[in-house]
Amino acid sequence: MAGIFIFSEDSALAKQLLTPALELKASLAQPITAITLSESDAEELAKLGADKVVVLTGGTWAEGFAEAIYSQISKAEGSILLVGGTLRGKHVAAYVAAKLNAGMTTDAKALKIANGKLLATRVLYAGLAVCEEEVALPAVATIRARTFLAPAPAPAAGVVETQSAEADSRITISEVIPTGDKGVDITAATKLVAVGRGFRRKEDLKLAEDLAGVLKAELACTRGIAEDEHWLPIERYIGISGQTVKPELYVAAGLSGQVQHMVGCRESKVIVAINTDERAPIFEAADYGIVGDMYEVLPLLTAALRK
Amino acid sequence: MNFELTEEQQLIGQSARDFAKEYLEPIAVELDHTGNFPKAAVKALAAHDFLGLLLSGTFGGAEAGFVSYAEVVETLSRFAPAVASIVNNHTVAAYAIQQWGTDEQKKQYLPGMAKGEILGATAVYEHGPTPGVGANALVALKQDGGYILNGKKAFVRNAGEAGVYVVFATTDPALGAKALTAFLVKAETAGMKVGAKAETMGLKGCPVADITFENVVIPESALLGAASEGTVIVTKLLSIASVAEAAQTVGIGQAAVQHAAAYAKQRVQFGKPVATLQAIQTLLAEVASDCHLARLGVRNAALLIEEGKPFEVEAAMVKSFLVRLGSKMLIDTCQVEGGFGYSEFMPLPRMFRDIAGTNLLDAPGDFPEKLIAASIA
Amino acid sequence: MPKCLVCYKWTLDEQDIKIKPEDLSLDSSRAKGKISDFDRNAVEEAALIVEKEGGAVEVLSYGTAAVKLSLKDVLSRGAEKAHWIADPSAENADAAVTANVLAAAIRKLGPYDLILCGEGSSDLFNQQTAPRLAALLGLPCLSFVQKLTVEGSTVTATRKLEDCQETATVSGPVVISVLSEINKPRIPTLKQVLGAAKKPNEEIKIADLGLKPEDLQPKALRQSVKGFVMQRRNVVYKESSAAENVAKLTASLASEGLC
Repeated sequence: MAGIFIFSEDSALAKQLLTPALELKASLAQPITAITLSESDAEELAKLGADKVVVLTGGTWAEGFAEAIYSQISKAEGSILLVGGTLRGKHVAAYVAAKLNAGMTTDAKALKIANGKLLATRVLYAGLAVCEEEVALPAVATIRARTFLAPAPAPAAGVVETQSAEADSRITISEVIPTGDKGVDITAATKLVAVGRGFRRKEDLKLAEDLAGVLKAELACTRGIAEDEHWLPIERYIGISGQTVKPELYVAAGLSGQVQHMVGCRESKVIVAINTDERAPIFEAADYGIVGDMYEVLPLLTAALRK
Repeated sequence: MNFELTEEQQLIGQSARDFAKEYLEPIAVELDHTGNFPKAAVKALAAHDFLGLLLSGTFGGAEAGFVSYAEVVETLSRFAPAVASIVNNHTVAAYAIQQWGTDEQKKQYLPGMAKGEILGATAVYEHGPTPGVGANALVALKQDGGYILNGKKAFVRNAGEAGVYVVFATTDPALGAKALTAFLVKAETAGMKVGAKAETMGLKGCPVADITFENVVIPESALLGAASEGTVIVTKLLSIASVAEAAQTVGIGQAAVQHAAAYAKQRVQFGKPVATLQAIQTLLAEVASDCHLARLGVRNAALLIEEGKPFEVEAAMVKSFLVRLGSKMLIDTCQVEGGFGYSEFMPLPRMFRDIAGTNLLDAPGDFPEKLIAASIA
Repeated sequence: MPKCLVCYKWTLDEQDIKIKPEDLSLDSSRAKGKISDFDRNAVEEAALIVEKEGGAVEVLSYGTAAVKLSLKDVLSRGAEKAHWIADPSAENADAAVTANVLAAAIRKLGPYDLILCGEGSSDLFNQQTAPRLAALLGLPCLSFVQKLTVEGSTVTATRKLEDCQETATVSGPVVISVLSEINKPRIPTLKQVLGAAKKPNEEIKIADLGLKPEDLQPKALRQSVKGFVMQRRNVVYKESSAAENVAKLTASLASEGLC
């Protein structure tokens, strides 16, 4: 068994996968092969550490190439497959894992080799617990976006190879509707101001916007603000079924700090809470907090930071 | 013997909980403020078979048994006890018809009651010393083809919303309670007047009003049970109702202690959550224990009812326990929540007023203590 | 008239699980069982489809002895028959073992037109079962489905992905995983609860599935499970003057190099 494989239909995520792949390469002394469906991604991946890049031509619908991806790995007797943890990626990864008769860790936060096995860290029980999972090789793991940063360019570029592949013809995709204006990727922001139900009206969000302005932060929110009130688009919703972020600074204004929200931001470097309710769970989860009326505190804080 | 609910009883409880969270939790505050009859919730209760819970499948009921019923009542009461009251008053009336009704009467009312199309109510109390006695007592004089009712009934719950009333009247003022007889009176029978809704301390949303009867003519077929069987019937009904109301009290107490405990974990005073203070721990422990023990008492009485065994003493015991300790549960939990809890935006003030109601109502035919003492001495 | 099979998991309610402060281990002794949240959506969806198109809804679960506690619950939610496998191997089974067992059972019980699962289980949320089943059974897989329509043997699904909604169509048998947005599971009425006892359920012994010992060996093993505890400074400014609090916070942020 030899070979560390990576795959993601998402360009940025595919590059990020190379970072843990390079660490595994160091432990296992096995080459990295990046599988991609995109010719344009191939060169970049070859420059960032992939020893070989296999471009599968024949389409771009990732799920349809799960069988083809499996073939690549099984032919080479690959030992590890890292897949970008988008929903498409998880579908592909689980399919390949079944065909390989392999174990799979979903949404690994950290990975390493221990005792000849893949040791991964992941979250359980809706964020309540963290566990380590030991997976015998061959092993599959999915990794979510921004868990790792893309690596620095490699000293030598890898080889790019093209192979034709056939998509799964049993499924027909008839319509693809992009979700709204993609706008900002809040997972890329280094500072965030998150709003919750403490805001009484949509117009009041301006207070948070002003603060975000002086901090050069992006705006984010809890589930209710996005899904119930529709005051902010869904991609700004942070939580168990929303985005996960790890900014330098996370300011939680007028939100109580329920675990379903906090699981999406609890790896932030510094968390600040502003809430009128001293008993709100957010204070337990924060480094710094102000107990007070956010309608009073936010403008004062914005003014103070402007200086 | 098993203290646990059966699988079915647990699933029924789970459905009741999901139902209450969906339909009752969102309306609880408004219901308490407006006192408006919760039509939508009652309709939803019917759709989920909660209004025919004790009725036989022949009439479209769920035949679930009294233990399940108590579980449902407790669960609904954790969210909106007023709605549980509506269900109780309706269910007791339906039970009365099922137990003592003729086949015709059962066929006439029970299918509609199981579906919630006809809501039930019982008219027991009067402003006088005892039903059947006094100046305003409801009197039912026999006449050709039926009876004619004159008098007044007080504190009729579900008044104005019910389609049928189980009415207790004396057929002979000279004999008073000894001639108490039960009748089924359809709503809006000529001469019946439902008075103004009372403004009660709590359980708002469950309508309460007096009903005046002025020469109300009812047919022979309106007689429920036998002539002069009224006292036996009403005693049984009140005993059953008292178990259901005990379940309500437990539900309110449970909701209160859970709320107070959550509060105490968050509220920080003197650098620590108040839940670490012994005084608070004592209050919470006592209320939680009282709830737990009362629940077991309710289940025990409910099981006896379900098995058709004598239950009046056990019902009186749990009633007596809660008369002494029911309001204490809310006094104590309010103490835990202190100034914050005193606000009308918090649920405890409403629960305080509600539990005062569930404790007052429907004592068994005789004072509980008298009945219990008589059973042992 | 699709013949539907819904695979569901009987899990512990994560809300009842407590973290022991001494060593951060998990205490699930008081945790009640429940049908995994997204599986409820799957059962509901099958029930809705069959109510509209005719057909049948059966359910299947693989778990420890506790799985027997799920039967009346799941049968009150629209399923007509429950198949269950209760085996100690389920205690440590990973997604690979689970899929092996379920696939073997499906080969024995099937064929089915629709095989449905929730997108992931509410406890471990591996999100692997549906694609694994599809691979093992040689069937196409429609994952993360937000809307499902069945017309004859044609299945049309709207999948909700991070950046788009995709309409996918399949003819013939298919494995489907559903999102919680697909429907709102019904609250069983009392009659449905009481009627569940009268519906059939059938045990499948794991020994009758023709599995090899290695099929029941988990490939992913949980080594340590610890409650996640936030370690934060917890510095809270609650002076009576908002201006004073803001001044203190600003100073703290400056010391962190954040402003």
